[in-house]
Amino acid sequence: MKPYKLKIVTPEKIFFDGEAEQITIRTTEGDIGILANHIKYVCNIVAGPLKVKDISGEREAALSEGILKVSDEGVTVLASTAEWANEIDLERAERAKQKAENILSDKSRADEFDRAEIKLKRALTRISVGKRYL
Amino acid sequence: MATANIKDVKRRIKSVENTMQITKAMELVATSKLRGAKERAVASQPYFNTLYETMCEIQQDRGFKSIYTKKEFLKTVLVVVLAGDRGLAGGFNHNVLKLAEDKIKSLEQDGRTVMVFPIGKKAVEYFEKRKYEIYNKDYQISDNITMNKSLSLSESIISGFRNGIYDKVELVYTTFVSTLVQNALSVTVLPIESNDLNDNDKEQYDSTDPDKPKKSALTLYEPSAEEVFDGLIPKYISGLLFCSIIDSYASEQAARRTAMESASDNANEMIDSLSLLYNRARQAQITQELNEIVAGQLGNN
Repeated sequence: MKPYKLKIVTPEKIFFDGEAEQITIRTTEGDIGILANHIKYVCNIVAGPLKVKDISGEREAALSEGILKVSDEGVTVLASTAEWANEIDLERAERAKQKAENILSDKSRADEFDRAEIKLKRALTRISVGKRYL
Repeated sequence: MATANIKDVKRRIKSVENTMQITKAMELVATSKLRGAKERAVASQPYFNTLYETMCEIQQDRGFKSIYTKKEFLKTVLVVVLAGDRGLAGGFNHNVLKLAEDKIKSLEQDGRTVMVFPIGKKAVEYFEKRKYEIYNKDYQISDNITMNKSLSLSESIISGFRNGIYDKVELVYTTFVSTLVQNALSVTVLPIESNDLNDNDKEQYDSTDPDKPKKSALTLYEPSAEEVFDGLIPKYISGLLFCSIIDSYASEQAARRTAMESASDNANEMIDSLSLLYNRARQAQITQELNEIVAGQLGNN
């Protein structure tokens, strides 16, 4: 397959800068795959797994919400956080999940629901991506 | 008396030396923290720049409108103030708080209600003491803020904006120019102002090829330009805050470093002049003792 330029950027660092043949990413509209020569495209992404396929094989990472941008120069993914499957700290993710669930089950903290839901989603993504790697 | 004087001077030298040890240590700590902050600031640039570019491109889309760009009659303004958690940083906290207060005063003169969102212990203390209306004081610690935290911070700001508690958001912070120069400044966060890039691009398209479609017209936004834009805003604002917080943090460390450096220099100078005083007093005491011995000897003879 024809490779294209892929850049994954988080506020902390440039997570990935190189070539890929195909990526699969979760957007607000569902999972989509991007191949070379895709039309210009912008959409929001939600916390979910990201698959990057290049010559050497397929790798998986856990992303949190951000945007996906396809332009003539290549594909750029902006995400609040990004971790490769083998970098995920499952214990920490479990703790985050527990914490978010506690907030969600506590009716007196209704104003924190939205935030807790996002955190829960992130933690679940991490756990599912991290477990697949084990 | 000479002997008492010597003791006093000695004690003072000791105390200045102790102070100097502290200022020296603080200087070193600030230097290493500054290096870390600068690295983080550089690392966050690509993310923020791409966000900003994308945002500007969406705004070019025809017929585009969003609640974040609309300009309404401005009644209430939220002023977000970034300051440090600790003092002893020269004029750092004072400068930014002063600018914020001037800004608030001028807004109030224009007949607007002002709410303050202080970030950093010093800012919280300052505005609480002066009895300003505070929107949220959950963010006392500006030290080592994470992206996660700045995201919830921006959510708090956005929810107030969407609920109509205020219709404009200003940010007052300190930007790092160099190790010696840090400037306090204020920027408008919301509503998003249409930017220069927009105008430049328009001219470019008009003057060149009229058949050439606008760049953004070719881009597919899913589900729609507005929705992508509205989804982008929280990220943009949290990115903006994150960058400003790092910027302000770097400025704080730089200001503290400079302040501590000059404090150490002053302490050194003080020790020098006190040592001179001490040596003189010691010399005087020896001379006097000699005189007394010689005088005693002469008396005996």
